[in-house]
Order: sequence, then C-alpha cells, then structure tokens
Amino acid sequence: MAKEKPKTLGMREIKEILDLLKDTDVEEIELEKDNLKIRIKIKKRGPAPVWISRSATPLLPELLGEKAPVSSLPAKEGDVAGNLVTVKSPMVGTFYRAPLPGAEPFVKEGDVVEKGKILCIIEAMKLMNEIESEVSGRIHSILVENVQPVEYGQPLFLMEPL
Amino acid sequence: MFAKVLIANRGEIALRIMRACRELQIKTVAVYSEADADSLHVQYADESVCIGSPELSSSYLNISRIISAAEITNADAIHPGYGLLAENAHFAEICEACQLQFIGPSAENIRLMGDKATARKLAMETGVPVVEGSHWIISAKEEALEFASQIGYPLMIKATAGGGGKGMRVVHSPEDFLQSFATAGSEAQAAFGNPGLYLERYIENPRHVEFQILGDRSGNLIHLGERDCSIQRRHQKLIEESPSLGLRQRLRERMGKAAVAVAKAGNYSNLGTVEFLLDSEGNFSFLEMNTRIQVEHPVTEMVTGIDLVKEQIRLAAGEPLRFKQEEIELRGHSIECRINAEDPERFIPSPGRITEFRLPGGPGVRVDTHCYPGYDISPYYDSLIAKVIVQGEDRREAIARARRAMEEFVIEGIKTTIPFHQRVLMSPDFVKGRVNTGFLERLNANPASKARN
Repeated sequence: MAKEKPKTLGMREIKEILDLLKDTDVEEIELEKDNLKIRIKIKKRGPAPVWISRSATPLLPELLGEKAPVSSLPAKEGDVAGNLVTVKSPMVGTFYRAPLPGAEPFVKEGDVVEKGKILCIIEAMKLMNEIESEVSGRIHSILVENVQPVEYGQPLFLMEPL
Repeated sequence: MFAKVLIANRGEIALRIMRACRELQIKTVAVYSEADADSLHVQYADESVCIGSPELSSSYLNISRIISAAEITNADAIHPGYGLLAENAHFAEICEACQLQFIGPSAENIRLMGDKATARKLAMETGVPVVEGSHWIISAKEEALEFASQIGYPLMIKATAGGGGKGMRVVHSPEDFLQSFATAGSEAQAAFGNPGLYLERYIENPRHVEFQILGDRSGNLIHLGERDCSIQRRHQKLIEESPSLGLRQRLRERMGKAAVAVAKAGNYSNLGTVEFLLDSEGNFSFLEMNTRIQVEHPVTEMVTGIDLVKEQIRLAAGEPLRFKQEEIELRGHSIECRINAEDPERFIPSPGRITEFRLPGGPGVRVDTHCYPGYDISPYYDSLIAKVIVQGEDRREAIARARRAMEEFVIEGIKTTIPFHQRVLMSPDFVKGRVNTGFLERLNANPASKARN
C-alpha cells in the first residue's frame, strides 16, 4: 500500500476551519495533528458589550421616521429569534435606561408594556429622544447598558409580543 | 495633531484618508450604512459606527447621525472626503459649532466658492480671465435671451449650485434658448434645490486644466501644478494626467499665479482646486473652484511626491504650510484611469459580486481601491471601483505603464471600463497628446478604434 503523504495544516486549512466555525455556535476548538497543536477561540456575537459592531445586519423594514426635536421615536423592529422581537436603535447616540440619573429605569426585564410605552432615551447632539415600543409585550432582555454609545440598528431590547 | 478623525465618507476615498491617518498615528472612525457593513473602509478603521439604512439621506448625507457618531466616539475632527457632504457649508458650520474640526476650508470658503456665479465674480475682480458670460444669476427669461444674444451661440446654461458635470446644457441656436432655459431651471431646482442659472460662452473642445492649491491659516498659499482632465464623458472625468501637454513652463507659471490669486482673494485655506478652460491658442479662463480633495488627487501626489491628504490633515490641525512655491517641482509624468463598474462601451452601471480581483503592480503603478474578491458592488452608490495611477519618467513611459497595468488588472464578476481605457491608451490621438474635451466624441466616431476584448 502506498504511503499516504501526511496532510499538513497550513494557512488555507486554518482559514477553512475559521470559515466553518463562523456560521456555528462553536466558540472554541482544539486540534492536534502530528507535532502541530492549535487552539482557535472565536468571540461570538453576544449581547453587544461594546457598541462597535461589524456584523452585517439584514436590511431592516423602513424606519417610521425620526421626529425632531420633540423626540418620541418609534423603535426599529426586525429579526425574530424564535418568537422574540428585537428592538433596534433608530439612531446614533448614547443609551439611557432612565429619564434622569438615579431615577427608576423606564422598563425592567420581565415588565409587560403597552405599545407606545417609552423604553429608553437615546441622547444625540444634546437632545434627548424618547424611544417608544412599537409592540405590546414582555421585556425579555435588555441588551445594552446605561450610558452606552449605540449605533443605528443596534439591538437594544428583546421583547416577547403579547 | 488630532487624536481621532471620523471619516464622513465611504469607498476608496475613505480608505485613502484612513491610510493617511494611520501614518500620522491618528485613530480612525468609519461610519457606514447597512449596505456597506462588509466594506473595506469599515474593516480598516479602528472603530466603526453604523449610521443608517442604505439611502444617502439616512446615512452618508445624514448630518445629525454623523455628528452623533463623532460625539460617541470622541472624535476630534471630521474628514468629509469628496462628494457627499464635502462641499456642504452647512455641514462645515455644524462641525465648527460642535467643536469638531472640519478637515478642509472654512464654511465661508465653501459658501463663497461653491456658488459658481459668485466665484466667477471674485475671479474677475482679481483680474483673472473668466469665461465670457453672465457673472450673476439670471432669472428673467427675457433678460436671459437678451444676454444670450450678446454672448453669442453656442453657449452654456449652467446651474449656479451645480457641480461634478451636472446642471449644464449647451444651446446651439437662439430658437432653442428659451425652452432650454426653462428646463435647466427646473432640473437645477430638482437636483440642487437651487434654480439659479447663469450663462457662459461655450468654448469648443477646450482642454480642462486644473491647479491644485494648498494653503495654511496664515494666508500662505501655493499651487502644486496642474492636472489635465480633458478626457470626459458627459462632463464626468475618466482619465487625468499631470503635467498637461497644453502648458509650457511660462503658461504654467501664469496660470498657477492666477489660481493662487483667486484663492487668496477668497481668503482660502487648506486644500482646493481651481479649474480653467484652455483653448487651442493658449488662452485660459477661470471656470470654477472646488473646495475639497478631488478624486484625481493622486496624479499630483505622484509628480510632486507630496501626500495631499496628510498635508490637508496637518493644515487643518493648524500647522503652517511646509512648502514654498519655489520648492514645488513636477517630476516625470503621471496618468490616472478611473475604473468603473460599467459596461465599457455604453457605460451602463454593472453592480454585482466581484469574483476575481487581481491588482496590477510593478514599478510606477499605484491602485487606490476599496474592492476585494467577494465584494458586492451595491447599486446604491457610485460605480467607481478603482483608480489606477501610473508614473513614468516621461509621458511615453507613463502610457506604457498604464497599458501594462490595464492588461495586468483582472476583475471578474462585473463589467468594467478597463477595455475602454485600453482603447484610449492605444489611440494615436491620445499618444500624440491631442487631448481636449472633444476627445471621446472623436474616438467614438472613428470606426478603426474598436474595443479590445
């Protein structure tokens, strides 16, 4: 039997592995072959810990429009994960959970809210913009932290429509 | 010097500016629309902020979102690139009000020079020859018709708020005038929000020669020589070169002086370009001034050895001009070919996915591009995919290098205008330097010059 030429793990193979991992939930993988041992750890997209997001978000339904300067804005919707609706930021700015520093947050996880309820404030260019809920439902999770900078389309809340 | 600059643009120019920032050790912030999430400028920047949906009004023209992005990233300055908000005086003002340094001239400079009719008036007051025409906006059609007969036909009706080849039409005879005048006004209103029109004598097949201006805040202004941008299609530039064959040293000095004089009269600072029309007898006249970095700036960079974007940033940071006029020398010859995602014969846009993308290389070849294999050219934005800039010790070598670069450049998956450039570079007229704005028409009229496949 002809001796098989040992397959070496080169850059191309590593790139292929990375491409495969990209679309899965796998975060860490360890490979050992001959004398080569590699460990690849991929940071998965979780709740946005930093506002710098390079992930391509799919084209979202048309914004209902920014009203300025009296600022009650409808939140953006899109992306259903299971039965959850993602509330996305309709603007660029700084996210605040409460109307004032030290005040009670507008909503907490588990709260049931009506459509039109103010969920948060996003400050942009010294103007406070109240973001309203477009659906009635339960707040499943809050994806950003108080005083966190947010970009257009950034997921803010996950809601369970009721 | 700035610690962090936000680039309010996209595509190849965003990348160009970020490269200059990186060399100056300035952190960069990219802004992008959802259509540009995979764009190279987003990947290259130190930080990035999504600012809107693909439509320009939601993203790259959305001033409040761009300013907000600068605020949340603590940027010190904004570079507007070219097009988009680059010549928007309102945007420049807002930057100033928000304590963000706008990398370019002042809002006042933009306003003054951006109004074509006012800029012409300024040039005239400076004693610089101006293309014969109305130096003010004409609204009454009777007045326009009267003036038109004074200027003589053929003439051009131009939108005062126009630019980039838009908002102009040629009228050949008095019978066509009133109709053209009315249509031009509505078109201008629709395209620029300003229906103001002025009239200009139409010079048949001039050379389009522009001078690069550089100036600091203390009023020191110099020029960095000229670029010949005569090869245009519908007033869109396709090939540019420096120096221009239409100028000998004396004419260069006279035109350069005139360009600086106009800029000085407008208290101009930072980077700008003064455009002239040059007729076949060596008479030049002021056309307009562009208050931004231009697409074809690399051609000047090649022959002067000066990094224009870095100079722009330095000047915006308040540094004094680093060069004296006597120190500026044009060495060798440079040619730029703008490669667009368009059918090479009919110039119809050809968006799609780039499947193969192999850049030319070797001596004297530079490519400015934001594209890569697998990249999707979106239909939302302009069709420029790459600029191929070559330099040689003389025009002959530059042409040889440009031809070689066009042969080496492999782009598959979309149609590109590479075959068009090859045709031009092979044409006897181009090689002999018989280049003016009528070039393309003559090329197309000549059945012998078929596109190479």
